[in-house]
Amino acid sequence: MNLAIAKDQIIHGLQAVQNVVSTRTTLPILSNVLLRAEENMLELTATDLDVTVSCSVEAAVKKVGSTTVPVKKVYSLISALTNPEIEFEVDDKNACSIRAGSSFYKINGLAAEEFPPIQKFKENKKITLPQEKLKSMLKKTSFAISTDESRYVLNGIFISLKDHKMTMVATDGRRLALVDEEVELGDTTGEFIVPTKAVNELSRLLSDKGEVEIKFTENQVAFALKNEKGASILIISKLVEGNYPNYRQVIPAETKERIPLVREEFLAALKRAEIMTSDKANSVKLHFTKNNLAITANSPEVGEARESIAVNYKGKEFAIAFNPAYMIDPLNALSCDEVYLELIDELSPGVLKTNAPFLYVVMPMRLS
Amino acid sequence: MNSARTILHLDMDAFYASVEQRDHPELRGKPVIVGSPPTQRGVVCAASYEARKFGVRSAMPSVTAGRLCPKGIFVYPRMSHYREESKQIFQVLQHTGAAIEPMSIDEAYMDVSEIVSSLSSGDALEYADALALGRQIRERIFTERKLTASVGISSNKFLSKLASDFCKPNGLTVVPERDKVLFLRPMPVRAIHGIGKVSEQVLHAAGIFTIGDLQDFPGDLRKFVGSFGATLKQFAFGEDTRPIETSWEAKSISSEETFDRDTEDRPTLCATLKRQASEITEELKEKKLGAYTVQIKIRYGDFTTLTRQISVEEPLTEANEIYRLSCFLLAREKLVNRPLRLLGVGVSGLGEAMTRQLSLPFESMGGAK
Repeated sequence: MNLAIAKDQIIHGLQAVQNVVSTRTTLPILSNVLLRAEENMLELTATDLDVTVSCSVEAAVKKVGSTTVPVKKVYSLISALTNPEIEFEVDDKNACSIRAGSSFYKINGLAAEEFPPIQKFKENKKITLPQEKLKSMLKKTSFAISTDESRYVLNGIFISLKDHKMTMVATDGRRLALVDEEVELGDTTGEFIVPTKAVNELSRLLSDKGEVEIKFTENQVAFALKNEKGASILIISKLVEGNYPNYRQVIPAETKERIPLVREEFLAALKRAEIMTSDKANSVKLHFTKNNLAITANSPEVGEARESIAVNYKGKEFAIAFNPAYMIDPLNALSCDEVYLELIDELSPGVLKTNAPFLYVVMPMRLS
Repeated sequence: MNSARTILHLDMDAFYASVEQRDHPELRGKPVIVGSPPTQRGVVCAASYEARKFGVRSAMPSVTAGRLCPKGIFVYPRMSHYREESKQIFQVLQHTGAAIEPMSIDEAYMDVSEIVSSLSSGDALEYADALALGRQIRERIFTERKLTASVGISSNKFLSKLASDFCKPNGLTVVPERDKVLFLRPMPVRAIHGIGKVSEQVLHAAGIFTIGDLQDFPGDLRKFVGSFGATLKQFAFGEDTRPIETSWEAKSISSEETFDRDTEDRPTLCATLKRQASEITEELKEKKLGAYTVQIKIRYGDFTTLTRQISVEEPLTEANEIYRLSCFLLAREKLVNRPLRLLGVGVSGLGEAMTRQLSLPFESMGGAK
């Protein structure tokens, strides 16, 4: 393998892939990035065996070939080099020579054959949609993913493809976010759970232009896209095994009160009130009276908060307590001007809706 | 100096065994061992002084105790009974009006500085009032509960604890300020709370055997015991500024069980975990607490003991959640790969459950693998 590459190209490639490399790996090869030189192109790949990310960037390849080098070392070195162009040459012992201007380095690598092979996907389960749409759907749901490792089926986003729609659901057992959008599915249908790590990588790498192609099998999913710099990116992930809980059963069928709120005003008031909460008193109270919403927080050791918002409310006086973070998260993820808060009573789930197909169910807190 | 304190440490004598001897006159004067019988597995919870003469100690396997003390009378522990007894004793202590820090079911520190008029140090009558109070408490416990307690009195917790232990059972020891350094001198370093087997070995290797050796040691103790060095030096001279913590809260709640026969039978293990989880939950409810951490403890037939824990974002208050997490911990690392001798569950990270986050009404939450 022998090639010359622009510094910004290889830095871009390394930044795309190196995030998945685990710092605590028992297999040395997993600390390495796979470099594969083909005609006019260098493909970089990193994996933790669960999630694999590849990125192809432009390069002047003199001799095709492949090798692996420790990704942290090579990234530290290349970002510290000042020459705009870098030459790579790998010998048959996987020693990688790096030349840039008057600098010369040799990094010891491992054979490309030792790198875990990348799975191939069949063409039958495949859909294509705008990257912007997928990115926005992930943003509106990913905050509700559970971090409780004992509930592993909730450690990801559930994706369902049917009836011309893509539905995404995330829940941690206390709140649930759901979004569905019309997508050209063709004959493809399916359901799968994409693990948190893949969701994070995908959210980071998706751009606002172009399309993303999703392929999936029984136990894997692949996302192929071109990012804003024109580099081809492929993210392959294992799927979370197991059955996602029946989320429809926790969505309240009807509501008593539907209160329109100005999203930014409601959000700002909650963020201020949250400052007055503490570990022991981590709730905010929403107190509805005629045409008014009072948001209060009170913790003996910190102090108290009181916010007042004019709302269109005609129902009877009523108060409900929530963990403020569970209200702030969806309001932050949304970009619309108006949201609707639907409530039944102080112990029943609250529902946040928008004019777009988005739904957020959140359980209140019981005050003793 | 108005910062001088008078601290009293009270420790019941062989508590469980004494309760049994009181309730069963035929056991009096006999070597009573509270715990599983030696034919079964399990450990000694407490031993009467008659049994201790044979070398029987609490936490020792019952088999060993039976071998050391063949005439020992084994009695099954009655925990709820002891807890009830403990309540009665603490009521006696509360009557004094002192600030109380309960250390366990049968042990407490009391700050009696406000009650007794501690005279200036050096006076022969130092702690005279405290001594009278100590006597009074011991007498009251004996008259009302027919049990004996040992009491230690000094200017701090460290000394008072050593003092109560000094002439156990049924003793009362006062350590005046001017005698404290001499009082400590002959004691083995192991007597210091915080010096365990490992630190003891390290100190012995350095030629330090008694607290006197610690007092005389000219160098820095940190090279032996790390950051404990400074405190250790203070303890060696009978100095201890730790306050009485009346707002004492349970730091953990646990339940464990030694099986009659080593077992890896899933239904047995699940039933045990379920029972332990509900025991813990009862106590949590009683104390209005929630727990952020669940820990499991297992012991294999060869006495290899492992613990594993998991922390959660929302405080746990329900038995089924504690049970579910216990099962998860066992399953995560496939710990039940051979029969277990002991299985236990504990919760820690306890906090007041003032507000409770409700859960979405899922029927099943994507069960275990």
